[in-house]
Amino acid sequence: MGEQAEDSGRSGDQVNLTINGKSISAPSSLSVIQALWHTGYPRVKSVGCLEGVCGSCRVMVRRVDSREVTTELGCQVLIEEGMQVNFLLFPTPTHHRYQLEEINSSWEVQGKFHKFFPEAEMCRHCGGCNQTCPKGISVELGVELASKGRFEEAGALFIECVLCNLCQTACPESIAPNHVGLFSRRVSAYFHIRPSNLINRLEKLRKGELEIIK
Amino acid sequence: MTNGIPYATALEQYEPKAERPLPDQEMSGEELRRAYHPDHYADSIVELNVGTNKGDACHRQLADILQADARIDEADLAGAPIVETDVLVIGGGGAGCAAALTASRGGASVILATKLRIGDSNTVMAEGGIQASIEKDDTPQMHYDDTLKGGHQNVNKDLVAKLVMNGPDVVRWLIQQGMQFDLDKYGDLLTRRAGGTSADRIVYYRDYTGLEMMRVLQEAVRTSRIDVWDYSPAVELLSDELGHCAGAVISSLEDNRYKLIKAKSVIIATGGIGRLHLNKFPTSNHFGATGDGLVLAYRLGARLQDVDSFQYHPSGLAYPQHLAGTLITEAVRSAGAYLLNGNGDRFIEELQPRDQVAAAILRECAEGRGVTVDGGGQGIWLDTPGVELREPGIFDARFPKLIELGKKSNIDPRKQPLLIYPTLHYQNGGVVIDENCQSSVPGLYCVGEVCGGIHGRNRLMGNALLEIIAFGRIAGNHAMETAPSHKHKKSSIEHLSQLRRELTLANMPMDKQGPALFPSYAKFENDSDYGGLHKTTQVES
Ligand SMILES: Cc1cc2nc3c(=O)[nH]c(=O)nc-3n(C[C@H](O)[C@H](O)[C@H](O)COP(=O)(O)OP(=O)(O)OC[C@H]3O[C@@H](n4cnc5c(N)ncnc54)[C@H](O)[C@@H]3O)c2cc1C
Ligand code: SF4
Ligand code: SF4
Ligand code: FES
Repeated sequence: MGEQAEDSGRSGDQVNLTINGKSISAPSSLSVIQALWHTGYPRVKSVGCLEGVCGSCRVMVRRVDSREVTTELGCQVLIEEGMQVNFLLFPTPTHHRYQLEEINSSWEVQGKFHKFFPEAEMCRHCGGCNQTCPKGISVELGVELASKGRFEEAGALFIECVLCNLCQTACPESIAPNHVGLFSRRVSAYFHIRPSNLINRLEKLRKGELEIIK
Repeated sequence: MTNGIPYATALEQYEPKAERPLPDQEMSGEELRRAYHPDHYADSIVELNVGTNKGDACHRQLADILQADARIDEADLAGAPIVETDVLVIGGGGAGCAAALTASRGGASVILATKLRIGDSNTVMAEGGIQASIEKDDTPQMHYDDTLKGGHQNVNKDLVAKLVMNGPDVVRWLIQQGMQFDLDKYGDLLTRRAGGTSADRIVYYRDYTGLEMMRVLQEAVRTSRIDVWDYSPAVELLSDELGHCAGAVISSLEDNRYKLIKAKSVIIATGGIGRLHLNKFPTSNHFGATGDGLVLAYRLGARLQDVDSFQYHPSGLAYPQHLAGTLITEAVRSAGAYLLNGNGDRFIEELQPRDQVAAAILRECAEGRGVTVDGGGQGIWLDTPGVELREPGIFDARFPKLIELGKKSNIDPRKQPLLIYPTLHYQNGGVVIDENCQSSVPGLYCVGEVCGGIHGRNRLMGNALLEIIAFGRIAGNHAMETAPSHKHKKSSIEHLSQLRRELTLANMPMDKQGPALFPSYAKFENDSDYGGLHKTTQVES
C-alpha cells in the first residue's frame, strides 16, 4: 500500500532535454521539476505548491521546431524531447507601500490609486505582460481599466493570477501590473462587499445573543 | 502491490449513470478505521524516548526527526550577524501572515522569516472554503457540536469555542483585507455544506479560496512595514538562561550563512508535514511542509499532542502519475459525486468523515477491487460524469480548477471518472497551545496547522482556514502586547546540550539531523546553493 510517493519510479517514454544547460534524460510523464529530481539534480528554489497556484516555478521553455520562447510554470510543464528549459530567478518583490486604510472613502480610490501606482498611466501598450503571463490573463487591459478607475472590471481579469511576477519582470515601465490587478480586487472587496447575512450574525454576536454551552 | 483491475479494462467497463444504489455496509466506521486507516498500520507508531512527550505514541517517521540531532552547534554561530525585533514570525502561510499583520498594526516591530517565498504554503492550495456560521438556520453552537463530533470528541473545547465564535469576524476581517467571496445576486455570502456538518456553513471563492486568501494577505504584508525574509528557513530556536524562547537561527538560502534573530516573542507558523510522505503516501501538501516547527518547538521543551494522527484525504488524484497526490476538493463529493470501485459499485456513503471514507477506499484496493495503473499506483473512481448527468454544466460553473486539472491530465471529468487514492493531507495534532496560542515554553507561540487540539483526530473541511486566521490574529495580538514586558535577553543554543545528553543517554542514533527543511528527493544537502543547478552538482546514479 502507498507506493505512490513523489520519488517513486515513473513510466512513460524516455525523453532527452536540457534544463539550465544540463542534458537530462527522464520519462515523459514527469514535469520539469520532477525530471530534475528524478535524475538526481537538486532543485529547491523555485519550488512551491507543485500545483500551479503559487507562481514560484517560473521557467523559459523552447520546444523543438519552434523559435518561440514561452514563459511557463515548471511544475505544470511536462518534459518533451528536445526541449530547452531555463529556470528564472525570482525578482525582488513589489516596491509599492500602501495600506487600504489610507483610503478614506470609495470616492477617493481613483486618486489614491494614481498616488500609489504613479507608473500605471505610463503604459505604452507593448503587450509584453500579456505575452509573458502563464495564465493567459489580459494583463494590459487590466492596467488600462484600473487607470480609468474601473477597478471591479480590472480586478475580475486577475482571478487566476498566481503572483508569479512574470508580467512585472516583462514590463519596461516597472508598472507591476499584477499588483495593479490585486489592488483593484482588494479595493472592490474593501468598499463593496457588505453581505447582510454576515452583518446580521455579527450584530447578534456583538449583543451576546449567541453563546456556546460546552 | 495488491491486485486489482487494470485501468484500461476498468475504464472500458465504466458506464456513466445518474443514480446508483449504495449496498448495505458490513463494517462500522470504527471497524473500518481500525482495520484500514494508515494511523493504525502495524509498525508505523512508536514511543518517543526523549523530550517532554517521552513515552507518548508518535508516527515513526516523525519520531525520527523529533529525536534527531540539531543542524548546528556553537561554532556555526561564531560571527553570525544578529538582528533584533519585537516579534519574529516563522512561516509565511496564512497563519503567519495574519499574525504578522496584527502584531505590526498593533505597533510591534515584526520580522517574518519564511523557508521559500511568502505564500508557498498549504494555504494557497486550499480550494473548498472556510467554515463560519452565518446562516439563519445555523449557530456557533452547531458549529461547535459538529467540530467535536468530527474530531471524535477528543478536542480542546476552549479552543473550539473560541474558533467557532470567531468565525463571522474572521470573514469580516478577510473582506477588510480585500478578499473576495462568492455572493448571491443580493450580495449575501453564498454558503455550502461540508462533509460531517449539520448546516450550510462553508463560505468560499470559486475553488480558489486559498489562492484568493493568500495573495491578499501576501500583498497586505508586502506593502506594510513588516520586514519579510524570504528563503530563510529557521533551523533552531534561541533560548535564554531560563529556557524561555528568545529568537531563532535562520539559515539563508541565498548565501548559506546563519543569522540570529533575537525576538521578544516568537510565533511558529510553519504548517504541516505532508512532504515527509508518512507511510510512503503521496501528499497534497506544498513542497515546504516538512514538520519543521514541531522539531523546533519540541527541542525547546514544548509539549505536543496527537502526533500519531494524520488526515489522509480520500480524494487525491492517482492518475496521471505526474499529478499523483494532487487534491480534488471535497466539494465534488458534496456536490454528489459517488465513489465506485473497479467493478463500478459504490462501497461507502460518500460524505462520511474523511478518515472513514479513506479507510474504505484502502479496503477496496487491499481486497482487489481497486483499479491499477501500469508503472505503479492504484485507486478507485470518483464518478464525476454521474454528477454532470444529474446537473449539467455544474463543473464549468463551480469547479474551474478541476476542469483545468482535467486538461493537464487529458481527462474530461464531465465524461470520464477520475482515479483517486487517499493522499496525506493534514496534521491533526501538533504543539499544545492555550487560548492565546502560547505553547508550554514562555515566549513561544504557535499557530495554524503546526498546532494540535482543535480538530482532535479528524478535521472537518473548512476549519483549518478558519483556525489560521482566527488564531493567527490572536497570536499576533498577544505576542505584540506581551513584547514590551520582555527585555532582549541573553540568547543562546544552550538547550541543545541538554538535547544531545538525552539522546546519548537514550542510545539514539546521532546520524540524522533535523529539522528536515526539504524532502529528501529535492537533494538539498547535495547542493544547497541558491542558484540550484549552477554550482557543483553531484549527480547520483
Ligand atoms: C491541497 C489542500 C487543500 C486544502 N483545502 C482546505 C479547505 O478547503 N479548507 C480548509 O479549511 N483547509 C484546507 N486545507 C488545509 C489548510 O489549507 C491548511 O491547514 C492551512 O492553510 C495551513 O496554514 P498554515 O499557515 O498553518 O501553514 P502553511 O500555509 O502551510 O504555511 C506554512 C509556511 O511556513 C513555512 N515554513 C515551513 N518550515 C519553515 C521553516 N523551518 N522556517 C521558515 N518557514 C518555514 C512554509 O514554507 C510555509 O510558507 C487544504 C490543504 C491543502 C494542502
Ligand atoms: S498576471 Fe502577472 S503575476 Fe499574475 S499570473 Fe499573469 S504574469 Fe503571473
Ligand atoms: S508590459 Fe507594462 S508597458 Fe507593456 S503593456 Fe504591459 S503594463 Fe503596459
Ligand atoms: S510550484 Fe507553485 S506554481 Fe509551480
